[in-house]
Amino acid sequence: MAWFTDRHCFLLAVTFYGLSTIYSVFLWRKGFRRDDWANYFLLAAGVALHTLAMTKRGLTLHSCPVNNLYEATTFLLWTLGMASLIYSLLPRLKFLCAFTSPVLFTLGVFALMPALDPPHGPKPEFSGALRSLHAATILQAYGAFGLAAVAAAMFLAQRHDLKVHKLRALLSLLPSMQRLELVTTRLAMVGFALLTIGLAVGSRLPRKEGVSFFADTKVLWSALLWLVYLEALVAHKFFGRSARRFAIVLILAFVFLLLTFWITNLLSGLHRS
Amino acid sequence: MSIIVVGLSHRSAPVELRERFAFAEARVPDALRELRAAGLTTEGVVLSTCNRVEIYAATPLAPETAFAAIRQFLIAHHAYEGALGDELYALAEPHSLRHLFKVAAGLDSMVIGETEIFGQLKKAYDLAFTNQHTGALLNKAFQRAFNVAKHIRTETNIQRGSVSVMSAAVELAEKIFSSLAEHEVLVIGAGETSEKTARALQSRGVQNISVTNRSPERAATLAAALGGRAVPFERWPDEFARIDIAISSTAAPQPILDRARLEPLMKRRQHRPLLLIDIAVPRDIDPAVSELDNVYLYNVDDLQGIAAEYLKLRQEEVARCEKIIAEKVAALLEANKYLTADGRGEGQRRREG
Repeated sequence: MAWFTDRHCFLLAVTFYGLSTIYSVFLWRKGFRRDDWANYFLLAAGVALHTLAMTKRGLTLHSCPVNNLYEATTFLLWTLGMASLIYSLLPRLKFLCAFTSPVLFTLGVFALMPALDPPHGPKPEFSGALRSLHAATILQAYGAFGLAAVAAAMFLAQRHDLKVHKLRALLSLLPSMQRLELVTTRLAMVGFALLTIGLAVGSRLPRKEGVSFFADTKVLWSALLWLVYLEALVAHKFFGRSARRFAIVLILAFVFLLLTFWITNLLSGLHRS
Repeated sequence: MSIIVVGLSHRSAPVELRERFAFAEARVPDALRELRAAGLTTEGVVLSTCNRVEIYAATPLAPETAFAAIRQFLIAHHAYEGALGDELYALAEPHSLRHLFKVAAGLDSMVIGETEIFGQLKKAYDLAFTNQHTGALLNKAFQRAFNVAKHIRTETNIQRGSVSVMSAAVELAEKIFSSLAEHEVLVIGAGETSEKTARALQSRGVQNISVTNRSPERAATLAAALGGRAVPFERWPDEFARIDIAISSTAAPQPILDRARLEPLMKRRQHRPLLLIDIAVPRDIDPAVSELDNVYLYNVDDLQGIAAEYLKLRQEEVARCEKIIAEKVAALLEANKYLTADGRGEGQRRREG
């Protein structure tokens, strides 16, 4: 079974995410009316295989598997998937999985691009315990932001149905608007806290000669992201920004994160090998 | 031995006739004793509610004989002297069992899928059981009926959703707010429907209710009845900083709340969600307020639409429920085949050797 690598394992995980996505479409079409464990178990199977894939990679490298873009992406997705499984156990949040699986599947397919996972040389792109902590914390922050965006999407969907008086707003087993808003806010706060810790750890990392920290693309990008989430949280908690606008900001911020994460990594002198 | 049912319900008889044959709870044990003493039944349960009066009985007599005898018993017991035609129905197996299961599941109720009848049937059975008027046949039939009702409740949508304006309003509130106990309600106008809606919200946890009306006396009366407080009518907009649900039902010819008036109030609320239930005709609340973020406005047509959709959903489930009931009745009849004439089961016969 030596031919069965961690990437094969991850491919199987993505397949389960795909099956969960298809099932989620049926749940959506039925209006989330009946409690359903099938989708949860599909996603759980994907996350289990995903965990196995990351474990295999970690054991091969003898380090936390966040050493290149493929690994960083899979780590982010793993955080998103695991958090989704945990939060889905809370009352009325089971359908979180239905909203998360499309994100996991799409990004999983993207992560499988060979260019993101070059063969590891004697010196990984970023290595060391402190670097691993920085990378892991940042990626967990992204995972929390992703889940916040998913919960925000659920909130907006429910809000729309209630506003236009669609009966499925009542028939669905989605949580109340207030609960969705609370979950969204808490996830964004957790993500923000993790991002802050990750950036603080990152600022203590040794740097290459001639590479400016404050002019680095990734550092500037991260600072912007940090400010965006700070503004969103403060405006919502203390200045009465409506839950709808807060949800939209969270979704847009995460989309921005997804679309620009890889390019900023490639342009960053601090994060390039 | 077989199970029969004789009775009248909202489907067969008007309320004037049903009330003539109603049994007071205290008189039920004696009535069942009379039936057994006369040899008409060996087991019996009387179900007497505002919508039906039914006697479920295990009888050794041929069904037709039992029907006539129990009919005569009912007439004599209630000293009824008028004419009685098809108002009184009588069913033998398997129809009697099917009827029992349908009643337990709320399929024979005025509002299809209602759950109150389940409690009433359980109470009627418990009364007969406590007074030792039930035996193996009725015990088994009723236990199966309760199980079937629970099964139907979990497996189908027959009891899902709100089929009245009041309960639709409550369901909406629960879709917006996670716990109604933490939210305040303002009742604008002291009408009957707004009172019922406020009571429905109270039954789901609302604790703080304010009432306002052009007549301070009516506001005070309703507030006292609801355990809330009265607010002077000219000051009700000030309450919007605190309340999260408003039920409006005034007799105003023009809207009392429009977007221009509500927008500054929403700023004071820091844009917390606000549910507005407008059950007045003409409407009290300008529909344009629903364009505001965090404002959810439902008028009486919307609520009735919700109730009608739910009723339609329940009716679509009837065929599925009846299929489940048919299967369960067949299973019960099969099981009853192995009961002896005195109601002992196969297991019991083996134990007794």
